[in-house]
Amino acid sequence: MNSSTFIATALADGLLTTLVITLGASAVAIILGITIGYIRVSSFWAFRCLAIIYIEFFRGTSLLVQLYLWFFVLPFFGVTLSPWTVGILGIGMNVSGYGAEVVRAAIQSVDRGQYEASVALNFSRFAMMRRILLPQAIRAMLPAWGNLLVDLLKATSLVFFITIPELTSASKQAADTTGNYLLFFAVALFSYYLIARLLVTPFVRLSERRFSRGFVREAVA
Amino acid sequence: MSDSISRIGNVMALKPSNLPVNPELSPAKPFVRFENVSKRYGTYTVLDNLNLDIARNEKVSIIGPSGSGKTTVLRMLMTLERINDGIIWVDDEPLTHMQKNGKMVPATNAHMRRVRGKIGMVFQHFNLFPHMTALQNCMEAPISVLGLSKQEAEARAAELLDMVGLGDKKKHYPIQLSGGQKQRVAIARALAMRPKVMLFDEVTSALDPELVGEVLNVIRKLGAEHDLTMLMVTHQMGFAKEFSDRVCFFYGGKITEQGPPDQLFGNPQNERTRQFLSAVLEAG
Repeated sequence: MNSSTFIATALADGLLTTLVITLGASAVAIILGITIGYIRVSSFWAFRCLAIIYIEFFRGTSLLVQLYLWFFVLPFFGVTLSPWTVGILGIGMNVSGYGAEVVRAAIQSVDRGQYEASVALNFSRFAMMRRILLPQAIRAMLPAWGNLLVDLLKATSLVFFITIPELTSASKQAADTTGNYLLFFAVALFSYYLIARLLVTPFVRLSERRFSRGFVREAVA
Repeated sequence: MSDSISRIGNVMALKPSNLPVNPELSPAKPFVRFENVSKRYGTYTVLDNLNLDIARNEKVSIIGPSGSGKTTVLRMLMTLERINDGIIWVDDEPLTHMQKNGKMVPATNAHMRRVRGKIGMVFQHFNLFPHMTALQNCMEAPISVLGLSKQEAEARAAELLDMVGLGDKKKHYPIQLSGGQKQRVAIARALAMRPKVMLFDEVTSALDPELVGEVLNVIRKLGAEHDLTMLMVTHQMGFAKEFSDRVCFFYGGKITEQGPPDQLFGNPQNERTRQFLSAVLEAG
């Protein structure tokens, strides 16, 4: 194998790794973010406390240190996770801490009249949340989620430190090998931008359209 | 069990009211009863020892200046506000309280949910669900809360939207409707739960004047065609006079005067009532 094929393969592998970790961690972040955000507005104070502790930990400490913790410290307690598991869960949980606050704020921003109408129609708390409040809150929280997911994409470069070669490290390696730093870092920059533009933005746009039904007059939209 | 029944009987036997209520309008067995109910925010008393009985199918209007506590009466009955003292009864059951070990204790959420199923409410600002069409607005609660099938709920919702004259707007979202149309959807939505009591909280106050009539017509029709107890807070004196069996004038957290509309509007006994009515009439 000549060196240029080798570099191209490494870059492609790195790109694929970054994509997979981004998708996996995004799924974890969205699911946990909505769950913890929902618990954060629970009527039971003990639940609220647990959610606050979760948010404070994941939002208040460094992502890299969290990854080190799961990867290097947990084995001392008999829990050994694969680098991929740590990468996907670790980044996902970190972003879910921010996401939970976004979810809380969005739920609390729904007009109080919606809550009152739900009580008057005798909805259970769960049904009210699922059918009335969340669909409206999701619409409000989508732009913030778009930011979080782009941030998440860029944070995936940290998985290199727990032994996974990804886009940034592959580019660095290619640059080191060839000495052509300008080319390979330009490729890396552009790749991150393209993933954000072609993956995250359309997802957020599509969701916004889906959840904006009834909010904008069709003629204007 | 028999003990708890006799205790309910005891509480029910308490004299409900020491206000001068017209005996013809104060039946032995009210459908809704406010018994010594008080509501305070901190040191501010919104409602002071309210006693009010409403008979099955009676139409009662509540009028009074702003801040007199009239909207709070409806909100307490809908359990949107917790009361500080007293008990509210609906259909012979305590709403705000429940029996536990032979004692009346504050009701749990589950108990309140069961009893308030008999009550429907329409709000000043409609509070329609913006992400649902008119039809979906009317179907959601019957499906989620009553467990109706989608077909049953849709048939019921369609019939009610026809009844309020919006058969052609079923697929419209609230933002595509006028204020009067939104309020009619809100009425249909409340009716889809088959309530026995309907509460109307200043339902025409947020409407342009030319849209008031269409909403009042729907309420008139409801009163004429359905067995419903109705309690409404309103600024539409003409409508209150024409539609109600009884009008209650609230002032400073108390019922200052109440009676049949002809009497209350035609020959008010209380100075406050006279002042209020003349101010309202002057304003046109």
